[in-house]
Amino acid sequence: MAGSLSGTATRPGTGPAGGEDLRPARPVLSWVLRLGGLLARRALLLAVLLATVFAAVELLPGDAANATSERGESAADLAQRRELLGLDRPVLTRFTDWMTGLPTGDLGTSARGESVAELLSRPFPNTLLLGGLALLATLGVSLALGCWAALKPGGKADRAVSATATGILALPEFVVAVALVLVFALWTDWLPAVTLTDADGSPASWQMLVLPVLALSIPQIGWNTRIVRAALADEATAPHVETAVIDGLPRHRILTHHLLPGAMPTIAAGIATSTGMLLGGAVVVETIFNYPGIGSVLAGAVTDRDSPVIAGVVAVTGAVITGVLLLADLVRTWASGGRI
Amino acid sequence: MTAVTALKQAVRRRARRGVVLRTLPALLLIAVAVAGPWLAPHAIDVPVTAPYAEPGGEAPLGGDELGRDVLTRLLAGGRELIGTSLLVAVLVTAAAALLGAVGALRPAVGRIVERSADVLMLLPAVLGILLIALSWPGGGRFAVIAAAVVMGVPYAVRLVAGAAAPVAATGYIEAAAVGGERLWHLVVREVLPNLRATLLALFGLRFVAAVYLVATAGFLQVGPQPPAADWALMIRENAGGIVLNPWAVLAPSIAIGLLAMSVNMAASALVPQAGRKAVAAL
Repeated sequence: MAGSLSGTATRPGTGPAGGEDLRPARPVLSWVLRLGGLLARRALLLAVLLATVFAAVELLPGDAANATSERGESAADLAQRRELLGLDRPVLTRFTDWMTGLPTGDLGTSARGESVAELLSRPFPNTLLLGGLALLATLGVSLALGCWAALKPGGKADRAVSATATGILALPEFVVAVALVLVFALWTDWLPAVTLTDADGSPASWQMLVLPVLALSIPQIGWNTRIVRAALADEATAPHVETAVIDGLPRHRILTHHLLPGAMPTIAAGIATSTGMLLGGAVVVETIFNYPGIGSVLAGAVTDRDSPVIAGVVAVTGAVITGVLLLADLVRTWASGGRI
Repeated sequence: MTAVTALKQAVRRRARRGVVLRTLPALLLIAVAVAGPWLAPHAIDVPVTAPYAEPGGEAPLGGDELGRDVLTRLLAGGRELIGTSLLVAVLVTAAAALLGAVGALRPAVGRIVERSADVLMLLPAVLGILLIALSWPGGGRFAVIAAAVVMGVPYAVRLVAGAAAPVAATGYIEAAAVGGERLWHLVVREVLPNLRATLLALFGLRFVAAVYLVATAGFLQVGPQPPAADWALMIRENAGGIVLNPWAVLAPSIAIGLLAMSVNMAASALVPQAGRKAVAAL
């Protein structure tokens, strides 16, 4: 949660000189250039993260061959497996191999000698489905609650929503999950407590997605409702909103036409930050509901102390988050009238 | 004139009482958790009843997967979680205070810090903890602490740097700098004392975040190892018997939930009015 209890909103401006360029000449070209700049910046950040991940796995004591060694295994066996896994080659060679392999979808080899990409290819789409649904739920509910609270600032609804949001945003997902299982699965028997899978490895029915999605999104809803509420309150001090109020426009019209457009970039940044939390939380929630995602693969990796698998998961997750942050950048660009 | 002063004092007194009231639950809970191991009626690793036995007799909250007393383990299981979280919060706040103040005085350092926060944003904290804890097999609790600190500092630095920037731009800091004071003197003696309120609020928020991370690490079994009593570990261990003795899972869940919520409430009560907006965006 370090991620999300912290850094939202305050991302630095992207690209030099903001929107100072007022020349109408060749807008398409300059737009493409700026988009390219955004892409390059995000790609660079991702590459730095991946290099850091590789370094963390390398520099900390213990390697994959050691981790999977069985009791009574001789040093020769260990050396042989190290050679098999390619761990005897120089660090720099392995680093270039790993980094150049990533764009082609090669995530390296697990401690058991399987391809990490293959290991993740079936569960990862399931995790993306879970995380994606939770992201949609978070977006929808926190927008609705935030707007509802903002309609009458200081009113009963406002205070109730803000207090509840603050209360739940600090709850770990697994605590929420336990409460949901007890209430909806064991006491009322409305929804299944575990996820069963089809032959192709995906969840067997939509009911099985309800509780995991709820457990995952509830803390994030608390989080983002506060961001939406704060962004709307900020926007409410803008002169054009005061004008609209004085003009006597109805509240909901002020909300949709004057408040929300201006608050959009902040909201997008908040939701984008939640993506990391959702994907991290998915690992935890999947273990509870026995959901067939990367959580189960990671649980196995934890038992095996299999850091190449974790590095692979981090690589894929980092790529997904980069994509969502890029999307938030684009929303900001669009909301600010085409300026990046 | 006097009426206004009296009114102001009354408002301030009421605000202070509000802070005390909202900090109290967290302090009480922490006190109970710290004293818990001494209050526990049994040993944490000895079976006193049947596995997943229902509450009654020797065990008021029933038994866990091995028939150990749930109440005993509940009382014993909070101290380390809270201790570790406090340590993480202290370390993150201290590191962020120094780095943030230096960053405000030396823009080049500030930019590096800013970029590393951008990079770490791409790494979910839970995965970061798994990565560090697994790549460092002998690390145990220290690996979790190290990971939580590494994941927390960049975000915390932003807050401090933001609060320190106006202070660093004030005349007396510039005067001190021109007067030949060294960087550490400027940071420790001139900038940080002005950020007490921000740092206290930051500490509260980092404690909330640390409780979440340390508990999640425990749940994922990279923190404390069995047979240690730990709230998060208890939930993981006893999930299989949730139908037989729900208290074995419910009690530690409630404990963690209450801890997270009360600490969060205390943290938001401590946030200074002036800095409230900056911190709300955290």
